[in-house]
Amino acid sequence: MTFDTVLAEQKARLAKGWAELILRTYPKETQKVWTRQRDRFQNPVGAAILEATGDLMNLVIDWKDAKEIAASLDRLIRIRAVQDFSPSQAIGFVFLLKKLIRDEFFKAMEKDGTLADLLRFEARIDNLALMSFDIYTKSRDEVFRLRVEEVKRSQSNLLKRAGMILDVTADQSAD
Amino acid sequence: MSDIPKADELFKSIDYNPPTTGWMETPVDFSPGHWCYPAKPEKIEYMDSKLPGLWGPAREWLPSNDDWKLPPNWKEIVVNGFRERLKKFRTLQVYMDICVRCGACADKCHYFIGSGDPKNMPVLRAELMRSVYRGEFTLAGKILGNLTGSRVMEEDVLKEWFIYFYQCTQCRRCSLYCPYGIDTAEMTMMARELMHLVGLNTNWIMEPVANCNITGNHLGIQPHAFKDIVDFMVDDIEEVTGRKVKAPLNEHGHEILFITPSGDVFADPGIYTFMGYLLLFDYLDLDYTLSTYASEGGNFGSFTNNEVMKKLNAKMYAEAERLGCKWILGGECGHMWRVVHQYMDTMNGENQWSGMTTPKSPITGTVFETSAATKMLHITEFTSDLIKHNKLKLDPSRNDHLRVTFHDSCNPARGMGLLEEPRYVLKHVCNNYFEMPEGTTREQTFCCAGGAGLNTDEIMEIRLRGGLPRGNALRYVQEKHGVNLMACICAIDRATLIPLADYWAPGVGISGVHELVANALVLEEGEVRTMDMRQEPLPGFEDEDDDWTPPNMEDA
Repeated sequence: MTFDTVLAEQKARLAKGWAELILRTYPKETQKVWTRQRDRFQNPVGAAILEATGDLMNLVIDWKDAKEIAASLDRLIRIRAVQDFSPSQAIGFVFLLKKLIRDEFFKAMEKDGTLADLLRFEARIDNLALMSFDIYTKSRDEVFRLRVEEVKRSQSNLLKRAGMILDVTADQSAD
Repeated sequence: MSDIPKADELFKSIDYNPPTTGWMETPVDFSPGHWCYPAKPEKIEYMDSKLPGLWGPAREWLPSNDDWKLPPNWKEIVVNGFRERLKKFRTLQVYMDICVRCGACADKCHYFIGSGDPKNMPVLRAELMRSVYRGEFTLAGKILGNLTGSRVMEEDVLKEWFIYFYQCTQCRRCSLYCPYGIDTAEMTMMARELMHLVGLNTNWIMEPVANCNITGNHLGIQPHAFKDIVDFMVDDIEEVTGRKVKAPLNEHGHEILFITPSGDVFADPGIYTFMGYLLLFDYLDLDYTLSTYASEGGNFGSFTNNEVMKKLNAKMYAEAERLGCKWILGGECGHMWRVVHQYMDTMNGENQWSGMTTPKSPITGTVFETSAATKMLHITEFTSDLIKHNKLKLDPSRNDHLRVTFHDSCNPARGMGLLEEPRYVLKHVCNNYFEMPEGTTREQTFCCAGGAGLNTDEIMEIRLRGGLPRGNALRYVQEKHGVNLMACICAIDRATLIPLADYWAPGVGISGVHELVANALVLEEGEVRTMDMRQEPLPGFEDEDDDWTPPNMEDA
């Protein structure tokens, strides 16, 4: 049996374990509330954690569709990029999967002499981390873009009035 | 491979857990991005000259510095101010005493839902104040101290107030779920009043307050500039519809005074809603005037203290009297309606001039008894009554390129129960209308996270995470129904929902309700429009401008 098959058989349990580790990056009072509230509209962060880890477990085992992986990562990172995390904390959840897999399989695989399979799989997690870095940066860029655009928008009519914006149209053009 | 386990050991040494200290001890982060910029000293000096004794020292200060330059007797001022308000406002005393910490509100705040910060749980945010109440004013708290969760007023506590009472938009969603009906928004108002007494303030609130006190609107637009901007819009309406509409300003002797937030006058996309009002009123030949002094429906005084709220609100009746108007029609605004509906009659009801009457639609004859106290009617009540009586000829297919949902703005929805009227209007001017999921709309609506003076760009992250619950519901209807426009009836919404939608549901635009009314309004039999109020081509007219050549490119 390949390591991928082993993981595939236990993927639901592993995804749940990963989600729990991610939840633990939030304060204790919050963990309680987010574990209890199952409505995805009342608890969007809890729902995003559960859904993204479930999807990502499948996708990482398949390791075929980079676009889908990025979309799933984006769901979580978009949220963590505007929460009160440092950049490393925001994307550190990827390495929690490494921690989980090692806690689960390292000792047994060391005994069997199949650690190479584990390392091969961990390379995928490293890839996830690199993708996460890109997605996090893109999310932050978006936040800054939104700030700039908001300032421009809020003044648009005043700038027009002050004659600071030239509104060129075909009818009024002197050329 | 034998040296690999070391990495495992290394991994075990990494602490994955956040600090486990109790909420009272967890330190607060004061780095930039966690607070709004403090008010400019000259704004405070100006307000202190108008309403003395409410503002503490005018000074340059920054929350990221250790020294906030508080007055030396700040503690006495806050504790005395607290005591005075406990006596003056019965609600505050009751709210301090009756909370049993059942936790029903814990997961109801959009800031908590988005951030996961327990101090954003309404029960804990209120506890920031309640712990001081117990420590300073109750016998048990004074004797038993920490055992009863009591704290005395210390500088750290005050600083914590500044961070967290400016992470409450006074949206009152938590109050909806409180079995005792505790209104956390009113607690936030009180905490902010107390902070103002010792000079803790934000510029995004105080500059509009100062401007409003001088010119009547937040941006300090003077009458001539206001007229110029309105003229611009009259020209734009003519460009779209071929009709030159009237826009009466400061004219005496009209039946109705129309007041709307100034955000509709100067900011995108509010201006299209403003054009919608002008077009509708011209179509009806309504007997109304605008005022360049009551040129702001919004009242940032309500984010500051009750004295300023009352003063800024007074101009509405003052202008109605000066211009001889019988009643006031109010535009699409959020907290304006909170102030009008809940406080205006108490604060300024005695200033209504003798000629004011209960609003009666001159078109349908409907008398709006619900507005009998304030003499002020919401425009969606006015317009839905017109539609109900078949007084508007509408072509909703002009909005067929739009798939529309409606965001209930907190103040009209929870503050005055205005739930059906805007939906009724939207369903008559659009063919494609979709509701967001239950539990995220109507009384339970999620806040835009920019209300109560928080719609400023320096706290964009706080706003975006607070906007997650709304954005998440929006994303759902975007994916399920192809929604590409979220309509709302609040000027702060029209500003703050744009980045919110851009971040959480990219591709969804924001508009006011009367922008869509203007699109659909058929001015005369057989009228053909080629573009919408934003001068974007309507479906079927996309190619109109394709033969246009940019200047200087003819020979290229």
